[in-house]
Amino acid sequence: MSTSQEQMRRLLAMVPFLQSRPGVAVSEVATAFDITEKQVVADINLLFLCGLPGGMPDDLIEVDMDAVEGEGVIHLSNADYLTRPLRFTRDEAVSLVVALSTVSELAAGQVQAAALSAAQKLSAVTGHEDPVWLAMRTGDDRIREDLVAAIEQGRRVQLTYDGASRGETTRPLVDPVGIQLRDSVAYLQAWSLDRAAWRTYRVDRIAEVAVTDAAIEDHGAVPELAEGWFDSSDGEVTLELDATAAWITEYYPMRRVQRPATPGESTVATLAVADPLWLQSLLLRLGAGVRVREPEDAADAAARAAREALALTEQVCRSLD
Amino acid sequence: MAPRKTERLLNLTIMLLSSRRYVPRERIREVVEGYHGLSEEAFLRMFERDKDELRELGIPIDTGSNDAFFDDEIGYRISRRDYELPAVEFTPEEATVLGLAATVWQQASAAEETTHALAKLRAAGIEPDASRLTALAPRLTAREESFAPLWQAVIARQVVEFSYRDSAESRTIEPWRLAFRSNSWYLLGHDRTRQAPRLFKLARISSPVKLLGKPDAFTAPTDAAIGDHFERLTTPENDLDTVLAIRGDRAPTLRRRGTPCDSPVALPPGFAAYRVPLASQGAVAEIASHGPDVIVVAPPALRAEVLAHLRGVLAAHEPQPKGGVR
Repeated sequence: MSTSQEQMRRLLAMVPFLQSRPGVAVSEVATAFDITEKQVVADINLLFLCGLPGGMPDDLIEVDMDAVEGEGVIHLSNADYLTRPLRFTRDEAVSLVVALSTVSELAAGQVQAAALSAAQKLSAVTGHEDPVWLAMRTGDDRIREDLVAAIEQGRRVQLTYDGASRGETTRPLVDPVGIQLRDSVAYLQAWSLDRAAWRTYRVDRIAEVAVTDAAIEDHGAVPELAEGWFDSSDGEVTLELDATAAWITEYYPMRRVQRPATPGESTVATLAVADPLWLQSLLLRLGAGVRVREPEDAADAAARAAREALALTEQVCRSLD
Repeated sequence: MAPRKTERLLNLTIMLLSSRRYVPRERIREVVEGYHGLSEEAFLRMFERDKDELRELGIPIDTGSNDAFFDDEIGYRISRRDYELPAVEFTPEEATVLGLAATVWQQASAAEETTHALAKLRAAGIEPDASRLTALAPRLTAREESFAPLWQAVIARQVVEFSYRDSAESRTIEPWRLAFRSNSWYLLGHDRTRQAPRLFKLARISSPVKLLGKPDAFTAPTDAAIGDHFERLTTPENDLDTVLAIRGDRAPTLRRRGTPCDSPVALPPGFAAYRVPLASQGAVAEIASHGPDVIVVAPPALRAEVLAHLRGVLAAHEPQPKGGVR
């Protein structure tokens, strides 16, 4: 899109925006349109030159430039032909509707209902359907609703949590602060009282939420759950993956991936490991499709677990065969 | 110069929007300042380009004639009804959610389009504001390079061409839907090459995506029909009836899918038996990932596969015979 197209697109929204908010501050316009205040003034200076054909002063859009320069507020008039914004393009309508569906996936209760009804109103106005399907792992609506309520009321909760890496159910007592959607999975961010540290819990592994009477305490700033949130862990492992195991490079955040130059060779992937038990479980899952390049002892635990599982199964099931 | 050009585009838009009648090209040339002093050829070229740019922004410029008898008098106008965003009202709760929606997209082009959509809503007097909803942070990402062109193609219903899984063969697809699941984007569409519905993982598209032909080139099946295809192509059936022995509160993902049952054999202390329906695809890897916490009691064929898989783990990580390194 050309520079003047970008500017046109903005001005066509700005003229009705300003007319519906007489005396709006330049700074507020800058925030709403995500541009600098300098650009707002440049836009205003341009609008001032536009209007109906004829070239008479009456024909042009009027702006009180003294108010802009003095108090930093905008009064725009004489633009009755542009009191409504332009219709949505398909791309705008669909982007916003999909964003609303994403909100509804993560939200619960009233917020979820509001996201769904807003999306319906937009689809009705724009006539564009939602061409995207989201299959998010956000757990039970009831669990999210309990968590959001606890966060809003500032209450400590006890989770019943089916830990993934350890493969066992625990009951951590936590101070919940937020629910985030990352890579199609919902995570609860909370301060773990047992660990005395910030922890992230997958919402779909929370089987129960028991709200306690205790108020949550201030534990300082919440670390940003950034896209590469595994980066905070210090363990790193490099794996050689054959074709049956290479899917993990698309599934988990990777630090480095070296794809095979010719088909048949291995993919070499380096990834962060927050918990050695997670790696053990991954290696057991991938079976013969993976070799550990470094560190050398990274697969010891998985091999031990495999040996143990073989022995146990053979012992227990001997009578069945 | 961009400001001069923006001025011309805006004046042209205002003029066509304010006129009830079709405005002939010569009249446009006379009254829009930016067209003054150009040769006929330069004017025509500039006017054509301007019209294209306005249409790209979604401005509906009509072409027509005021007089049914003299069709040589071709002119232009913008119908207010087609131009303006229809009236739409949102409750305060919906406005809050719209504000939150503004923060969802992490993919650049969709994020930008969302911003523009919200600017239009603000221009219609709506105040999206998410400051009340601090507990929720929904995010939607698309890292695949093929996402942006396929998004365009799905929205515009335009046919695409690409190659898949490093094969040299190029596939021609009518793109129906994009789907996001398990942290990956998928495209569901009609594969003209295979003459059947197919599901493609965007991460495995191995060539740039080419958009072919014009928009609205095909009709996608109904939502329900697409849903059926999608289900069939993605959901493995729970075709295995298994009995698993699970240690204590371990392996919750399997345990919660099952129901407690009696075991035909004596189990080690701390183990309990569950009847768990599973899809045969992926069942072996899933069970093996729990190591000695899960024992397959039945069926025997599944047990044999899990044992073979575990022997594969051992073989893969056996210390390499190179002079006693460890």
